[in-house]
Amino acid sequence: MSKIDKWNEKIWSFFASVDLAIALFIFISTGAALGTIIPQQSEPEMIVRFFSNFFSPTTAMKAYEIVSLLDLNNVYHSWWFTFLLFMFALNLIVCSVERLPYLLKSFKTVSTALPVEVLENMPFKKKIENVSPDVSHKISEILKKKGFTVNIFETQDGIQIQGRKWSKTRLAVYLTHLSILIILSGTLIGTFFGFRGSMNIIEGRGLNFAISDSGKAIPLGFEVRCDRFEVEYYENSSIPKAYRSYIRILENGEVIKFNGKENVVIEVNQPFSYKGITFYQASYGFQPSEHAEFRFSYFDHNNMEHNISAKFEEKFNIPGTSVKASVIDFSPALGIDEQGRLFNMDTNMINPAVLVRFEQGDKKTEQWILTKIPETWNTPYGKLKFHEIWGAQFTGLQVRKDPGVPLIYIGSLFLCVGLFISLFLRPVTLFAKLSKNRLDFYCPSSKVSSISEKQIDKIINKLKGEKV
Amino acid sequence: MSHQIISIAGLIYILAMPIYIVYILTKNNKVGYGATFTLTIGAVVQIFGFIQRVIEMYEINHSIMRSIPITNLYESLIFFALCLIVGYLFIEWKYKKKSLGVFASLIAGITIGLTDVLGVTKEVQPLVPALKSNWLLAHVTLSFISYAAFGISFITGLLHIIMESQTKKSFKYIFSTTLLAFIVFMFISVIIDILNGSNPKNVKIFHSTLGNPSTFISLISWMVLIAFILTAWKFGHLLNKTLNSLKIDSNFLEDLTYKGIAFGFPIFTIGGLVFGAIWADQAWGRYWGWDPKETWSLITWFVYAFYLHAKFIRGWRGTKTSVIAVIGFIVTIFTYLGVNLFLSGLHSYGSM
Repeated sequence: MSKIDKWNEKIWSFFASVDLAIALFIFISTGAALGTIIPQQSEPEMIVRFFSNFFSPTTAMKAYEIVSLLDLNNVYHSWWFTFLLFMFALNLIVCSVERLPYLLKSFKTVSTALPVEVLENMPFKKKIENVSPDVSHKISEILKKKGFTVNIFETQDGIQIQGRKWSKTRLAVYLTHLSILIILSGTLIGTFFGFRGSMNIIEGRGLNFAISDSGKAIPLGFEVRCDRFEVEYYENSSIPKAYRSYIRILENGEVIKFNGKENVVIEVNQPFSYKGITFYQASYGFQPSEHAEFRFSYFDHNNMEHNISAKFEEKFNIPGTSVKASVIDFSPALGIDEQGRLFNMDTNMINPAVLVRFEQGDKKTEQWILTKIPETWNTPYGKLKFHEIWGAQFTGLQVRKDPGVPLIYIGSLFLCVGLFISLFLRPVTLFAKLSKNRLDFYCPSSKVSSISEKQIDKIINKLKGEKV
Repeated sequence: MSHQIISIAGLIYILAMPIYIVYILTKNNKVGYGATFTLTIGAVVQIFGFIQRVIEMYEINHSIMRSIPITNLYESLIFFALCLIVGYLFIEWKYKKKSLGVFASLIAGITIGLTDVLGVTKEVQPLVPALKSNWLLAHVTLSFISYAAFGISFITGLLHIIMESQTKKSFKYIFSTTLLAFIVFMFISVIIDILNGSNPKNVKIFHSTLGNPSTFISLISWMVLIAFILTAWKFGHLLNKTLNSLKIDSNFLEDLTYKGIAFGFPIFTIGGLVFGAIWADQAWGRYWGWDPKETWSLITWFVYAFYLHAKFIRGWRGTKTSVIAVIGFIVTIFTYLGVNLFLSGLHSYGSM
């Protein structure tokens, strides 16, 4: 054998070894664990501050140098972590290529009677004396009933019975390994052909691009318009019940219809996809724009409802009167305490309120109107209900395109199926040798012999039962 | 209220433990039936409390799918205890062996008791939007069923190591006694933390012992911990003797350790990792994001994958594999509780 061949073989067996797999389990776990402890993708000061919790400032600086040298502040995207994952994939492939042909061959080869020495060397043995010579039929019947494939051989030392069950389930391990490779390739496709970004759209506005995590603009090819964003709260509490964005998709100036509807609702756990790009409700915020408007309902003497909307400090007429009103202050969450005083509860829009100034000739009055407290709707000039401020919030959408996702799903399915088969349907092989009136049971697998042992015990019990 | 009923179930579990001990010592069958009966009653009471809680949650959320009590730390701890007891009762019925009952009832009782001392909120809370998904049920229940299965393999694995390690210098002896000492120390330490903490909502683990701002107390705590470990090391053989006198079959323990993992591993893979990934894909727009919880789940998965490969490919047998099973459950516990206590991340609604 030439030197190169020897080296080839060494490298091959290195990648085919389980020791490498075990070492990789340990290395990947340790690296991943480090990443959960050291702050990831954060400013250098953060990391130095983190280490100064445990060490003196100079040591903390040194620790930071080590961290940045080894990319420990960005473990999961570092060259060495990627390398470990790559090695893991390579190990899986080589392992399978090495072992699978042997397994396939073993299915094809016709089984032959094993020499007695081989049987005697098996880790599990059990013998019964004084059995009737025709017991071999009974054994093969019991085995067949239990789902075994039975082979019977006449040898010099007596009759040999071989029972095999679920031997094909050995293939499931390779399905599991294959599934991990499929998942890894799915992530690769996602990394190279997909993107992740976000977009903040103010109510009443639209955007046709997303901002990637690295800060670049990604054109979408269509416009996403946010008609409305709302947070629904549980009754009488500040615990949010739902975050909802009402959006429309515009392509070439035309609104796209989905199931006959123009409006699409995006909620947490309810994303929306268009042309392979998926939008997720991720965040929201308060950002007054110049087109923001306050929306009211005014009820006149006949209880007729009039809808009113006005911009900040814009004067509007109270219908049927000569009174002019305007919004001069706003609070997202105004509450009334026990003494009847007003106070700001929250920065979220739990109970939006407006301060309205009424002007009738020279007479000026001011009054707070709170969305959720009907008593405050009654003004000297009639009932004025404040609904909402529109155009002052933005919805934060997570945007993603990932063509690798179907592979991830297929891989996950294979992973589960493979694991279930290989762990719940383990192959069982049993040998029995019958010579004169002595019966010996053998079991070759030392690894899970206790399972097979139980099978043998059951068979013996059954034999004894039938004898009685 | 449901949590009062569940606390009663916890008391019944604790009550079942001494009956199991008496059974093991006397081998009296009547006592044995009494122990099983007590534990079963505990499980029935807890299931009743569980249903009661479903009803309480239904009144807020108006949907059965949104009313399964697995939505915060308290509910998950309780569910873990229930899975452990039901799993144990199944094993007892299948193998007709009661020797593990002491440990199962103790762990379940302590878990429910912990919710009292930890000061976690037991009130029924409205669901936050992030948890409003049908995947919640699949992801969380399967995860906890697998945790319970790993828990059983931890009990049997640890017993197996203690039984098999004879010499005081062997790694397995030192490993098992140190671990036991540390568990006891941590338990006492947590109780001190809670007694000292003014606000039960932000109890920091080890803050009043090992991590005390005063160097003196911290030093003393470390010395106490070392003293605990040395005592356990010195007298560990007594435990070994007791266990051996109980005539627990070590092959049975090894087999059960394997079964716990062989059952838990696929369930964990499908429920914890795959369903978790699908849910994350729908809620957060990525199936994997190296969130601490995700990362530690992967580490847990690797440890048990290591166990299976060591057993089947390398042919490891005996206590060697049990050590991995024990480490696996420690990592599982860290994934479950430690990540929420020590690290921050997207799974933070499970925090206290």
